[in-house]
Amino acid sequence: MTALSSPNLADSSVLITGATGDIGEAIVTRAIADKAFVIACGRNESKLEQLSSQFEGQIHTLCYDVTDEKAISNAFREVQKGVTAKRWPALYGLVNSAGIMAEAVLPMTSGETLKQQMAVNFFAPYQHMQLASRLMSRQKAGSIVNIVSQVGELGSSGMSAYAASKAALTGATKSLAKELAPKGIRVNAVAPGFIDTALTSHYDDPAKQKVYGRIELRRGGTAKEVADAVLYLLSSHASYTTGHVLPVDGLFCP
Amino acid sequence: MENKEKLIKAFTESLGIEPQLVTDELTYNTIPQWDSTAHMVLIAELENVFDVMLDTDDIIDLSSVAQAKIILQKYDDSIEFA
Repeated sequence: MTALSSPNLADSSVLITGATGDIGEAIVTRAIADKAFVIACGRNESKLEQLSSQFEGQIHTLCYDVTDEKAISNAFREVQKGVTAKRWPALYGLVNSAGIMAEAVLPMTSGETLKQQMAVNFFAPYQHMQLASRLMSRQKAGSIVNIVSQVGELGSSGMSAYAASKAALTGATKSLAKELAPKGIRVNAVAPGFIDTALTSHYDDPAKQKVYGRIELRRGGTAKEVADAVLYLLSSHASYTTGHVLPVDGLFCP
Repeated sequence: MENKEKLIKAFTESLGIEPQLVTDELTYNTIPQWDSTAHMVLIAELENVFDVMLDTDDIIDLSSVAQAKIILQKYDDSIEFA
């Protein structure tokens, strides 16, 4: 059996939100390994600086809050200015990786918690897709990958607000795949299950073992495994795949 | 190329219409060629030609040739349509 050759993202820019998170950083690393120019977006300034020096010449960092609509518009203006000035290639890829998760049962879910998760997990990726698709449509080529969640696909007790915000993004992914296909833009999603990251670090060992017992592969996933799936969907290896939600969950059975 | 010519070219190429139709009075959805699909092609072309990124509210408000001029000038003072 021959291995898949490395997908070629040379001469392509890929904008990645949540780049300072565990999964986001893994996606940045994989995208650069696949020769993309990365525009890394996040809120953690020192982490962005670290990425900037680690991948000098292959990355441009943007520090903003994804719930700030004006900041998102300005970020895309900066991206386009960089393209016009030939500082980096045209925007081909967008990965919406920024996300937050707050667990609470229904009576304990405040309106604020619900709105915040919708703002970060759904409204922000939606606005990023609006702006990115306009830049991509100039080249009539692009690939968008949204990080959704198996919690959104399958449901999970005590996580209804988070599940709803991610399910909303799944719905947008499937609809926009149809709407943007005539413009040469593919839209897919990756749905991680239980991934060992800072987002799940509050689980102690017994709690983790309980979750692992519901995963057929009997372990948590890694950020790199999520990044591998994202890069597959971004790349030309998935050139005939759009509107798909790819689980990366070790076969999670809630 | 002058801005006025660039604007006319963007409209004629995106909507597939003759240049003489591109007057200030030409309005969205009043001719079959300027429907919602063509509108997005027009927006992409205007952004490309004038190197701007329009806000969503401006895309919705860009409902005539006259309106297009006002909105484009808002993004760049140097864009004039004399």
